[in-house]
Amino acid sequence: MTPRTVALSLVLAAAIAAPAAHAAALPRTTVSVDRTTVATKLGHTFVVRTTIANHGTTTASGLVAHLNVLSLGPGLYVDPEDWSTHRTRYLAPIPARSSTTLSWKLTAVNAGDLGVYIAVLPRDGRAVDPTTGPLVHVSIADRRTLDAGGILPLALGIPAVLAFATAGLRIFRRRTTRAVSSGRAALRP
Amino acid sequence: MRSAGVVLGQELRDLWLGGRALALTFAFSLLLSLLAYLVATNRALNFLEQRETVNLTLQVAVAVGALLTLLTAADMVSGERERGTLESLLLTPASRLEIVAGKLLASLSLWVAAFAITIAYVWFLGRGVGIAGDALVSGIVVGTLLAIFLASVGILISLFATSNRVSLSLSLFFLLALFVPTQLPSGATSGWAGDFLLRVNPLTAGEHYIGRIVVDGRGWSEDVTWLTSPLIAAPLFAVLALAVGGRRLSLRGGASE
Repeated sequence: MTPRTVALSLVLAAAIAAPAAHAAALPRTTVSVDRTTVATKLGHTFVVRTTIANHGTTTASGLVAHLNVLSLGPGLYVDPEDWSTHRTRYLAPIPARSSTTLSWKLTAVNAGDLGVYIAVLPRDGRAVDPTTGPLVHVSIADRRTLDAGGILPLALGIPAVLAFATAGLRIFRRRTTRAVSSGRAALRP
Repeated sequence: MRSAGVVLGQELRDLWLGGRALALTFAFSLLLSLLAYLVATNRALNFLEQRETVNLTLQVAVAVGALLTLLTAADMVSGERERGTLESLLLTPASRLEIVAGKLLASLSLWVAAFAITIAYVWFLGRGVGIAGDALVSGIVVGTLLAIFLASVGILISLFATSNRVSLSLSLFFLLALFVPTQLPSGATSGWAGDFLLRVNPLTAGEHYIGRIVVDGRGWSEDVTWLTSPLIAAPLFAVLALAVGGRRLSLRGGASE
């Protein structure tokens, strides 16, 4: 065996072995969504429905679907936990050539352009590529929910009213006490 | 029960025209002002975090309002003993039960005032995120139950305390003990024992219910089981305070007759 043949054999062996080490995709499962754009306002809720289809000839079991939310631009911090309280779903077995539909309820907690997608993975932890659905582009219109300028009159006003009431009461009581004392003094022989 | 109304009127005059209640509500409003200012000027808050801040403000208002009620109730009998005014009260035609009932109702006026102050802050913080109404209704329901429970406990402690200092210290210790579960790590309260501890404690159960309504946007009936212990504790301790007070209100404190 010439060195050239040895080198060729090694390259071929590596090429065959590589897919085994590299992550493989989940067999014949697809994820689709009912819509790819959502436009709503800050604070509103919306629902994205996904259909997970098993195109294989055997039942697909042990799958988990996970919802992800991300900002499509820099400068906007997104905590997916705030958007949906139920982001991970453990799926019941999907029979061959059948599908299951999931509804994901989300609350728009940040204004801006965001992306939502759902990934399906095996529960046994195999190193495979997750099957993902198309990105849902979510545009959240901003609206004013907190008027920071208006807090100062309130934060100062209420304690001020109570402080004036306390001071006024104290003055009233002092005057009443004085009037009673002077009345008693006048009555003394 | 007409005499109870007379006692209530006299106690309210002592509390509010005497200036003590006004000073306490002034301090309460300062606390809420500081909290509301810090929250409102934080522009980094997202929509959900704004709901959480309304919840925080409401929970602080309920807890501190209940504290004011407890401390006022804890002073009602033992304080009068020390000031030497209980003897003249016992000599009036009012029965002991009526005296205790009047005092209990008067101490609840602190909660009424505290909640009236809270309305403005919760409305300001919650109107933009659409939860001001729900937050206020849940606050008045839970807060009133907790105020009745704590005022009754305060009266009970005050009946038996040998001095006013003992009564106030014990009441404060009792309230702090009730707050302990809120400081436990979330993992410690996730099991059945932790859940039971939170549910059986009227204070933690009530505050948990408020959180479910305000932060999670749950319906009124969805988590209503969390109101079980406040709903039991409030009337139970009120009846206990009236029954014990009606028999054991005396010039001297302590457990012995």
